[in-house]
Amino acid sequence: MARVPLLSSNAVWAVFTKEAVCESRTKYAVGALVMFALTALSSVSLAIAGVSLAPELAAALLWIVLFFCAMAGLARVFVQEQEAGTLLGLRLYATGQAVFWGKLLFNLVLLLGLTGIVAPLFTVFFGIEIWYWLPFVIVLLLGCVGMAAVATLTAAMVMYAQGKHAIFTVLTFPVLLPQFLSAINLTAKILSEDMPELSELMFMAGYDAAVVAAGILLFDYLWQE
Amino acid sequence: MDIRIVVDNIGKSFGEKRLFSNVFAEIAGGQCLTVTGCNGSGKSTLLKIIAGLVRPTAGQVKLILDNRLCPKERIYYMGLVAPEVSMYLALTGIENIIFWTKMRGISCSKVEAENFCRQMGLGKSGCDLVATYSTGMRQRLKLAVIKAINPPIWLLDEPSSNLDEGGKELVKELIFAAVAQKAAVMLATNESEEVMYGKSTITL
Repeated sequence: MARVPLLSSNAVWAVFTKEAVCESRTKYAVGALVMFALTALSSVSLAIAGVSLAPELAAALLWIVLFFCAMAGLARVFVQEQEAGTLLGLRLYATGQAVFWGKLLFNLVLLLGLTGIVAPLFTVFFGIEIWYWLPFVIVLLLGCVGMAAVATLTAAMVMYAQGKHAIFTVLTFPVLLPQFLSAINLTAKILSEDMPELSELMFMAGYDAAVVAAGILLFDYLWQE
Repeated sequence: MDIRIVVDNIGKSFGEKRLFSNVFAEIAGGQCLTVTGCNGSGKSTLLKIIAGLVRPTAGQVKLILDNRLCPKERIYYMGLVAPEVSMYLALTGIENIIFWTKMRGISCSKVEAENFCRQMGLGKSGCDLVATYSTGMRQRLKLAVIKAINPPIWLLDEPSSNLDEGGKELVKELIFAAVAQKAAVMLATNESEEVMYGKSTITL
């Protein structure tokens, strides 16, 4: 009769699939993310009318688009629970760790899916040729993991706040800044036909590991008041 | 398993406003305790404090399992039906039951979930999205979820709200069945008939 739930892959998978099923039926986050990305890329592309961008500028543009896409859609995982009134049940029946991992995975898959659309469009719209695809993909992957992890944590922090969407962006940006700058620098390097150093990639991977570890340690405190 | 909940001198204030204070109660498995009081007296808040979802301003709630104090895991022994607890509108009734039971580590097949829906009078609506349900049907779904989870402690906040006569009868049967299988039931209500279900009553 009594069952103390432990962190199980079943519970994590249940949270992830619940998010995916709800999203596939409402298309709330996907719609916002894709529309923002398409609008931003196409408007800048049309505005510069074929003029080639410096690698630093192009890299910054790519990551700014990804960042604001993340800000537009990733907070949904907790804000929606709060607004729909399902948060109380989730706090009662689920463990914090299952919720954290399930929602982090969903945000990561969503962001990677979006990056899979944005990155090719970015190369087409701005006539950019990528010489080192593997390092480019690794930088995108590491950057997305960092963004998804920070966004999941800060979304949990702001879910009870008033003006949560504005606070979410303001709170996420400074925490994400080291990863954000590294991602822009390494992308600029790759676009300049240069290979990133292993230590630079390790820094990004280390940042991701630190944020996920912080989430594991702190999320239970956020979850149970 | 011998289970007991002790509410020890609980008080709750929101800023300057004191909701209630000095609440003492004890409920063991196989008993039903009713909580009554006028609107705004804090019945729902008391149930949420007992569930471990809200911190009390004073006092503490103790969960005692087989005469041993169980300090941290209290929340995992509770089931709550309350107006503030909503189901996922984008999922079907059956999907909701399967999701919530999985969260508690309980396996519930689709056939079992369908049976719970049927028992709660939802019939074939279990396959429909909850967004299409009436408020009464959503209440029945919450009852189906708690029945599927079958926790040792049932916290029921106005469980008959929005239900027709058949639904109210269903709530009565659920409470008596839970008590018969040694669950502790705490029922917040202002329905005079439901107050009679309790062995004892707290009035806030």
